[in-house]
Amino acid sequence: MKGKYYIQGSAAISPQESFFGSFTPQMPVVEGPLNRLRAKEPDYSGFITPNNLRRMSRVLKMGLVAALKCLQNSDIAIPDAIVTGTGRGSLQDTERFLHNIRDYAETALNPTPFIQSTYNSVNGLIALQQKCTRYNNTFVHRGFSFEHALLDGMMQLAEGRADVALVGAFDEMTDEHFYIKSRLGMWKTALTQPADLFTSGTTGTLSGEGAAFFTIGTTPGIARLDGIRMVYKPSRQELHAALESFLAQHRVAVTDIDLLISGQNGDTRYDQFYQQLTRQFFPQTAVQYFKPLCGEYETAGAFALWMAVQTLQAQGLQHVLVYNHFFGEQHTFFLLSAV
Amino acid sequence: MAEQVFITGMGMVTAIGNNVQENLQSLRLQRSGLGYTRHIDTIHKAVLPVAEVTATTQELAAMAGKENVPGYSRTTLLGLVAMQEALRSAGINDAREMPAAFINASTVGGMCDTEKVYFDILDPEKDGAFLQFIDTLDCADCTQRIADDVGIREYVTTISTACSSSANALMYGARLIQQGLVQRAVCGGTEALTRFTINGFNSLKNIDKQPCRPFDQQRNGLNLGEGAAYLVLESASLVRQRQSKVLATLSGWCNTNEAFHPTAPSPEGDGAYEAMKEALAMSGRTADDVQYVNVHGTATLNNDLSEGKALERLFGDKVPRFSSTKPFTGHTLAAAGAIEAIFSVLAIRGQLIFPNLHFSEKMEELNIVPETQLITGVPVRNVISNSFGFGGNNASLVISQYEG
Amino acid sequence: MEALKLKLKQQIIEALNLQDTKPEDIDDNAPLFGEGLGLDSIDSLELMVLLERHYHIKVEDPREGRKILQSVQSMAEFIQSKQPA
Repeated sequence: MKGKYYIQGSAAISPQESFFGSFTPQMPVVEGPLNRLRAKEPDYSGFITPNNLRRMSRVLKMGLVAALKCLQNSDIAIPDAIVTGTGRGSLQDTERFLHNIRDYAETALNPTPFIQSTYNSVNGLIALQQKCTRYNNTFVHRGFSFEHALLDGMMQLAEGRADVALVGAFDEMTDEHFYIKSRLGMWKTALTQPADLFTSGTTGTLSGEGAAFFTIGTTPGIARLDGIRMVYKPSRQELHAALESFLAQHRVAVTDIDLLISGQNGDTRYDQFYQQLTRQFFPQTAVQYFKPLCGEYETAGAFALWMAVQTLQAQGLQHVLVYNHFFGEQHTFFLLSAV
Repeated sequence: MAEQVFITGMGMVTAIGNNVQENLQSLRLQRSGLGYTRHIDTIHKAVLPVAEVTATTQELAAMAGKENVPGYSRTTLLGLVAMQEALRSAGINDAREMPAAFINASTVGGMCDTEKVYFDILDPEKDGAFLQFIDTLDCADCTQRIADDVGIREYVTTISTACSSSANALMYGARLIQQGLVQRAVCGGTEALTRFTINGFNSLKNIDKQPCRPFDQQRNGLNLGEGAAYLVLESASLVRQRQSKVLATLSGWCNTNEAFHPTAPSPEGDGAYEAMKEALAMSGRTADDVQYVNVHGTATLNNDLSEGKALERLFGDKVPRFSSTKPFTGHTLAAAGAIEAIFSVLAIRGQLIFPNLHFSEKMEELNIVPETQLITGVPVRNVISNSFGFGGNNASLVISQYEG
Repeated sequence: MEALKLKLKQQIIEALNLQDTKPEDIDDNAPLFGEGLGLDSIDSLELMVLLERHYHIKVEDPREGRKILQSVQSMAEFIQSKQPA
């Protein structure tokens, strides 16, 4: 894929103070008893009319408002394409409908949770609110949800079908789903503070959530998006080879990378991917860890990219690399450069 | 000009057949797959018709070579059966031979199995084999199991845009090929009936208690169905290199959004009109070149009206022959786009047009009626296949005869 | 009838999450859809659910539903007509 892609603007709702003003990473404190970070939600009423707001569940509001704020920050009203990724969609609605089916024995069911449980409902809402009638797509695939949304948006630009694409991701955590995932061993069992994530020496991690959106286009913006590389269930060798070819493709040497933004999450089962990669390629490079800031979730990569954009701008860096994987299966590199 | 994308293989399982040949046979014999569920525990089972795949989940496991292997949901097994046939039909013995993409589509993942044990999963007191289904609710679960089983790993992902999901999967795969990211992409979708979805559509009051009647004045809603379908897409250069047998060309596509309403289409069919028009323009064909439209035709009050209006707007008084095949297969949601893309290929290869079952009375708002009989021996060179869905998502594909 | 209408208004407000609306804001005869309260087709389905859950009245046909759901007055009259005298 040839061509140059630029990030024009962005917005994020996350466990950090990320929605308004400039971003200063803050190590959060988990109150307990669960290892879970919650997004700091802004007041949505400034973005959505009360009549529209009344039916929307939490992640719909979070996704829609992050998208609207991103368009605002980019000074764009109607993008040419809207592409999102979500690992879980509206969990609250899916759960509500499952419970309603049981509680009302399949009779007299409200359609709203069913409608909102559909993964593309946030996309539909953004299109509806902005009257955007062009390309619209939604990916639902764990750690390759946001990543494919971004690739899709870039392809829209490459094809000349879009000048500006709105690309983003959203995910929420609920009490019920937290418990379900705990049965799969996803979370640390003992209360672990984000600051202690890497020294705990235990399996599992910290749950997170959030929404982040970007506008991407072909005219210079706030950062250049050189590329994205996804690697599915790689061995260490395959992963390292993928990184080497990815950087070579963009004519960037490992020593050119000013900052590595790493998805390390303290899960002793999978942290070696991060540790080995850092040891082998970036022993001297500055590393920032984003999972203690936002927690682990399917589309945490979107928060990482958002943080990469903020840091690149704020610190005047030349090249920032993001490396993230979701429980060892879906691995991704993003490469960003100064405009 | 972007590289051409060819269809070189296809596989499917629906209520009217466990493979492409059986599906074609049922279409020819006008044998509908609608009936009542035998596999789902729901109070609607004797009331709401569905198009259910005949095989039990265990039988599907045997067909897929996964007997007694834990963790495979019905969604995954349907997909695996279709995937195996698609690769066979494309003459691919080992999908690992080259970097390829698997672009899957799903609306509720393995809900069919998860919903049966959901409240057990929530109960800390309960433990057992059911826990293997915890993660199948996730759409990625079926996709990755299928990808891992056949060894596709360069690009693996899942699209979920409700009823247009697998049409979007086909587009996405074709675009990956055109961008040179892969030479081969297997695309489509898989959908198993669930109590969740049946109740969902029923809560929207758009399921007909009779077999669905697309484009009929008396139509009263859709019937749900299940199934899976995948098409193997290959670049022109790969086709040349491996001498692939080309079944048809995926010559045009378009995805639009109506931005009109969360679940209802606009009455004039703006999104449907745009999607068809743009897809046709991309294919380099004109309205006169289209011999058949496999319409979305769900038989809901809204869809058929707006889709019919869009057809009249695009084709004027020369609307090509059209039919909805949903009275055969039911509305298979995420699988529908791929199933109907295969039907479009079959129409071209067999030079035939499938009937729209259960039609008797013209809609008063429209001047057009669907085909009600099987038509054979007619030239079918270009087919438009429509898939429209919730969230205003519209997708149209143009499938053309291979002129190689 | 007045009591029924007041109760209906409260139920509508709760079911549709009309946060800043009070029962006295809803005119008995004002149209619920379009102009009036600004409700849409999904609300109409939710109101049918309300009738089913609270009054055990099942409205099968959406077209029939539209007539019944014109206003609080028409809903109340319909409920009364279905209730044993």
